Amino acid sequence: MSTASVAGAVQESFASKTPLRIIGRGGWLEAGRPVRAERTLSLREESGVTSYVPADLTITVRAGTSLSEIAATAREQNQWLPLDPYGSPEGTIGATIATASAGPLSSNFGLARDLVLGLEFVNGRGEAVRAGGKVVKNVAGFDLSRLLTGSWGSLGAITEVTLRLYALPAVDRSFVINLNGPEKQITSLLRTLSTVPINPFAFQLVSASISRALGLSEEPIGIMRFGGTSAAVNAQAAALAQVASTHEIDLKAWPRLRELETGAHTSLRISSLPQRIVATASRILGDDVNGVYTSIDPRRGVIRVVVVPSDNADSSSELAAGVVQSDSSELVFEKLPAELWPIVSASVVSDFLSQRIKRAYDPHNILNPGILGDLN
Amino acid sequence: MTQPGTRAESSAVGDSPDLSPRLADIVGSHHVLSRPSELLVYNSDGLPGYRRQPRLAVFPGTREEAIAVVRLLAELQMPFVPRGAGTGLSGGALADDIVVVGLHRLKKIISVDVENRRAVVEPGVVNLKLNRHVAPQGLLYAPDPSSESACTIGGNVAENAGGPHCLKYGVTLNHVLGLTVILPSGQIVELGSKVGENDGYDLRGAFIGSEGCFGLALDITVKLTPKPQAVRTLLADFMSVNEAAQVTSAVIASGIVPAALEFMDGPTIRVVEDSIYAAGYPRDAEAILLVELDGLETGVVADLETVRRICNEGGARNVRVARDEAERMKLWQGRKKAFGAMGRLAPHLIVQDAVIPRTKLPEILERIHQISERYHVVVCNVFHAGDGNLHPNIAYSADDPAESERVHRAMKEIMQACIDAGGSITGEHGVGLDKMGYMESIFDEASLNAMCELRSVFDPERRSNPGKVVPVHSCREWQAIPAARRVDKEAPPLEAEPSRPVA
Repeated sequence: MSTASVAGAVQESFASKTPLRIIGRGGWLEAGRPVRAERTLSLREESGVTSYVPADLTITVRAGTSLSEIAATAREQNQWLPLDPYGSPEGTIGATIATASAGPLSSNFGLARDLVLGLEFVNGRGEAVRAGGKVVKNVAGFDLSRLLTGSWGSLGAITEVTLRLYALPAVDRSFVINLNGPEKQITSLLRTLSTVPINPFAFQLVSASISRALGLSEEPIGIMRFGGTSAAVNAQAAALAQVASTHEIDLKAWPRLRELETGAHTSLRISSLPQRIVATASRILGDDVNGVYTSIDPRRGVIRVVVVPSDNADSSSELAAGVVQSDSSELVFEKLPAELWPIVSASVVSDFLSQRIKRAYDPHNILNPGILGDLN
Repeated sequence: MTQPGTRAESSAVGDSPDLSPRLADIVGSHHVLSRPSELLVYNSDGLPGYRRQPRLAVFPGTREEAIAVVRLLAELQMPFVPRGAGTGLSGGALADDIVVVGLHRLKKIISVDVENRRAVVEPGVVNLKLNRHVAPQGLLYAPDPSSESACTIGGNVAENAGGPHCLKYGVTLNHVLGLTVILPSGQIVELGSKVGENDGYDLRGAFIGSEGCFGLALDITVKLTPKPQAVRTLLADFMSVNEAAQVTSAVIASGIVPAALEFMDGPTIRVVEDSIYAAGYPRDAEAILLVELDGLETGVVADLETVRRICNEGGARNVRVARDEAERMKLWQGRKKAFGAMGRLAPHLIVQDAVIPRTKLPEILERIHQISERYHVVVCNVFHAGDGNLHPNIAYSADDPAESERVHRAMKEIMQACIDAGGSITGEHGVGLDKMGYMESIFDEASLNAMCELRSVFDPERRSNPGKVVPVHSCREWQAIPAARRVDKEAPPLEAEPSRPVA
């Protein structure tokens, strides 16, 4: 396959006004999103590295390349793409960028949009469009790569992506922070942690259900990851140990944390001002519900709630009903049971600017129609 | 809704005699300029030599006034150019016989949230003022264009401005969380989120770097960064440009991410040392690298030794680390004021902003040297080496037509070499008018049209900063409009004008 064949397929659908469901390896099909499509356009075969000059710390890959393939290629050069979305590492980079997915590393390395330098996509008329470039800094023209990142394939089918890479750290260590004790004490510990001279690669607070699933504890815990030179990592580990009770764990906890979500039918993110999240973190983590995984990124200001199939059949609708959109927080649904989408999540592209963009890039509404909600 | 290009033709070419008094009703007569002599100050931006005379300039002093001004211009279908401090380097703020809307009076820091490390500011707040305001709290606003002492956050948003420290900290885009924007139509929209992470299309990302073509920001919510625990600044000097370029590539390839990695060549060193910004750079060196490392003390110390070793192995004659903050500031001042110092060489300066893959640095610097010799021009290279973001500058006199011709031809060849190396035409200065002619060298017709479509989403009448960034002839929608009814005419190519003031 090539960009030309993707463009050809979209042109055909444009001519016949046949809606397309665009997929990578199909991992997001379980998100239950209400896409009305008659045909599937798979980018799965559109895979492989287009160009990679390790000393430039940039890589260009076809959209169907999996995150694990990128990781393996980069690792040979002692580099990595610090983008670790939840779910399987076999997911494609195209889907990761299209859904703007990110994981625990994002509070240090940035979100998907911060790692994308440029991309190529096929718009709803079947035209190949290039956005951004292949260099690490670029303001030539309007920023279409940001626009496409997180557009869920509704503005174009992403065919190629250029990404920023980083050198693998010489040392990469992770620690569990014990969080047992009264709520007040935990809140005070979390506040202290934001003043300690540390700059972790990742920091997650997880519910007891996650600690148990990872086999790390019966209680809510914090997990912190330090990377860099051994001097820098050791100094941070020591600084952390002065204020908290910690023990080191294997790095494998991170991929396992991300993969816990496989098979989940509901996942949502609530984000707010970081200190507001910190203030309520201990209470939120204290709610121990079977089948509900709650994790918090205190620096990014995000609470992530995931429901996996269990005896609590009603939990996702209860949860969804209990979460209220307010002026002081943002709520993003990633996955929901299909029947809940139209009830729970209104269109996120109903504002007039988004609608104009959709009509300009996909005039016949054939690219993943309905995936972000409907146009008016 | 008005169809693009159907109603505004009268305003683009004709007169609106009541405009000036109506604007004065909104902002006060002191804040509307219409006499050509008063408007001279606004006829160029930071690139001397390029001039366009605005018809009128208006300076709202409050958010409400800014809204009223934009709405009046919408009612009268008048095209306009938003302007911050006018320090841009792409001709982006030039207004050719249309209205300048200057926003430098909107300079309120609306709020600072120290705990959550963010601030809300009006667009006219000067970059350095925000930094000074939050410094006592141990915070900083990371993007630091060299014009930071004058440029505004609103202008930084329009250009997606960078600066030396964006190597580690990222550009404006990475530090703006949300904005309130008034569209050219007068509608007010919230882009991004002030409190968290939203989904839907990234309109915030689309607006940042839109060079004033999508409307203007009324307030901007920015992320603040904690001041690093430790900072070390290292100066390495070399007797060859090539060695310094190789060392740059080696530092990047080592995986260390310096806070900044700046390059200055011999001609730049000497012009800075001759000026009031003299920083104590070795005058006889052919290149210096200014490398700054920051972060936690232990990490910085380890990285500093690695960088020192790479410099020494790469042929550095001397490697010195600033002993104290005063010495560090002095080293930086020479770098940040280098553009200004070039005013000593000649009245005009042409500045480029191409970005190349970092491994191509030695090769491209050699090409630039060959090109400058062939055209008998002196190129001063002072740039963000760590990003591969070049700034070859040529000081010259536009009063000498033969010299102007040689300078412009040399610059075109340099740009072409960067494009051929897989680079971009601009890393942080923006396209504006200056680089519009190169857009078709890096983007094909469908890609340029996609940009035109995005612009029409925000400004269907294309009244905000018309004729900039994307050549109008590459917009299919524009091609479909009969020539006589086009609002944004094809701008003539930007040529330098003589230094004598225009009448």
